[in-house]
Amino acid sequence: MDEDNKITDETPKKQVIETEVPLGPVHSAAIEPYRVRLFVEDEIVKDAEITVGVNHRGIERIMEGLPVEKANSLTEKICGICSNIHIWNSVLVAEKALEIDVPERAQYIRIIMAELERLHSHLLYLAHGNEVLGHETFSMRLFYIRETVMELLRMIGGNRVQYGVPIIGGIRPRAELDQMKIQKIEDGINFLEEKLSNFAERFISDPMIMSRITGVGVIKKEDALRLAVSGPTLRATGVAVDLRRDMKEYDPFDFDVITQDDGDIKSNLLMRVLENFESIKIIRQAINHLPEGSITNRSWEMQDTPITKNYVEAPRGKLYHSYALNDGRVRHCIIRTPSITNIGAMEYACIGCHITDAQLAVVQCDPCFTCTDRAIQIIQL
Amino acid sequence: MTVVDSLIALIAVIGTLIVAFVVSVWLPGIERKFVQARIQQRIGPPISSPGLMAPIKFFFKQIINPNSPMPGLYNSLPIIGIIITILLLIIVMPQLYFLAAFASVVALVGLLKVEEILYMFMGSLSKSVLSIRMPFPDLVKGAKHTDVPRSFVEELSSMRAFRLIAFGSFPIYIAIFVPVAMAGSIFLNDIVAYQQLHGPVLFTLGGILGAIVFFVGFMILLNEYPFAILKTKADVIEGPLLEYASKYRAYVYISRGLLIFVLSSIFATLFLGLPPSILSWTILINIVVALAFTIIMAIVSAFSPIFTYKQFYPVVAGVSILGVLAIIASFL
Repeated sequence: MDEDNKITDETPKKQVIETEVPLGPVHSAAIEPYRVRLFVEDEIVKDAEITVGVNHRGIERIMEGLPVEKANSLTEKICGICSNIHIWNSVLVAEKALEIDVPERAQYIRIIMAELERLHSHLLYLAHGNEVLGHETFSMRLFYIRETVMELLRMIGGNRVQYGVPIIGGIRPRAELDQMKIQKIEDGINFLEEKLSNFAERFISDPMIMSRITGVGVIKKEDALRLAVSGPTLRATGVAVDLRRDMKEYDPFDFDVITQDDGDIKSNLLMRVLENFESIKIIRQAINHLPEGSITNRSWEMQDTPITKNYVEAPRGKLYHSYALNDGRVRHCIIRTPSITNIGAMEYACIGCHITDAQLAVVQCDPCFTCTDRAIQIIQL
Repeated sequence: MTVVDSLIALIAVIGTLIVAFVVSVWLPGIERKFVQARIQQRIGPPISSPGLMAPIKFFFKQIINPNSPMPGLYNSLPIIGIIITILLLIIVMPQLYFLAAFASVVALVGLLKVEEILYMFMGSLSKSVLSIRMPFPDLVKGAKHTDVPRSFVEELSSMRAFRLIAFGSFPIYIAIFVPVAMAGSIFLNDIVAYQQLHGPVLFTLGGILGAIVFFVGFMILLNEYPFAILKTKADVIEGPLLEYASKYRAYVYISRGLLIFVLSSIFATLFLGLPPSILSWTILINIVVALAFTIIMAIVSAFSPIFTYKQFYPVVAGVSILGVLAIIASFL
């Protein structure tokens, strides 16, 4: 045994917990199957444990041995909310490994899709957050606003859920943007901007909501770093980390990395509201400066490659894909979704909350357990 | 009282009950379709669905016996709730004012208290499948706190019902005593007679404050948002009502609609001096009050998040202080 881990007399004894309240995996406040065990004393959560794995499919294992194009399209099935970012990252791995240059127009359209997806994910987050908060009206309004984004995604990608457009070397031909589509995107984001501004104004000025979410479910900056939190949840604690800053695809665009200071539910909700405006800003720049030219580079050859990895900033945080190519087929595939690194923060955020706030504390970290479940590997104990 | 008078009184009581029932089945529909759905920019359910068609549907569903130590008692609690609600309505009917102590605010308070206690019993007598140990690695290597006693979500809501009995019902009881303070009597007969002589209590300073306090108490008693901590979707889901299925769920729905009408009628009796009776046109005022309460409640609910104790305690304390001020103002 390591010297540091040795149990001594000074080691604190196991905490005495009064009652366990298990919520899930089927629960009205959870839109996905997960189980949270809340250990409570007088309705105050003293400890929490989250269990996932209900929706396990082993997509990494299924991808092994598939032709890379098929494997890429399979990654789209990992998540029903951020399907595009999965296929994009998987395609980026192949492009990086095979050193394929992507036409600039295709890059811009990929960015438009990624930011529309971020808008849709953040709006879903806000709507679900308000639903758990018990504010049905805001929840319904946000779903109504989000509908515009869904229609834009359907228009470009041809579907409301599986709308991923990237293929190796560019984008699918049906995702090409003509003038009419560009006009619709512009109208859509103008509408969104107006409605989001109205929502943000009313949300911030509602004293009842602020009373519910201020200072609740706090994740301190140092704890967030210790727990390896990623994405908007990390930025809500004050850490200005956004992988989009490191992605060359985002170099032509001007946007701010939004941060909040408190790390509580309010900070997390406001974080997403403000990030939506940045996404709108990026989309506006992309459609205003959309380059002319081809959308696909077909001049590349398949070859064997070593394990290549790539990170992108998914709506929920850092998304990792890696695989090797052998005879045109995927080998050694590993996918890590942002939620798996945020689970520790979700458990941590519950501690000290009233039970009613506990689900909200989990939701503030924007969990997507289904995509986490689908990609994880089961290790036999 | 002659036989004819008794017969007329009996017809009046039965007729008023029928009117109350007919109106009450539409109130949940008005609340959800005309108000909340409109505010939330959605189509909403058909107006007859929540209060009328849903109970009818549930009457024909298969009966599922809940996991309860006393299923018979558990299933009978919604029926007891309906009986108490009907008794509350009968108390405020002018035909029964001759019953003296029975037709007084003390009886009202007592029955309302029983109504609250029912939730506590419901919660403690049910064990939903949602809290039963699932085939998960709760007890395997790596799980935290493996030997902790487990609480069912209904037990949690039962505890909350107990707390609400202790503090949540303060506003409505304080508000009920505003007309008592003005009329100088606990008997409903005297309170109505006082208002016929001096005008409605509602049109005085104490009455206005009392009406506000009564309305907050009304929402707490109905467990409506933002005071729905007893059945919070985020944790206990439907709390004590979670395991009611088939006809028992239908009774729960009927009971809620009826309680909205009955509490509105209590308000009309105490603050307007207009008790519900089918023999008088003033029954229309009772219906209007019920509609107004339903609409205002729906608007407040639509624009509020759910309260935890952190918000609940100050609101109840503040409203109770307002109620005390209303009583003081009624003495002036």
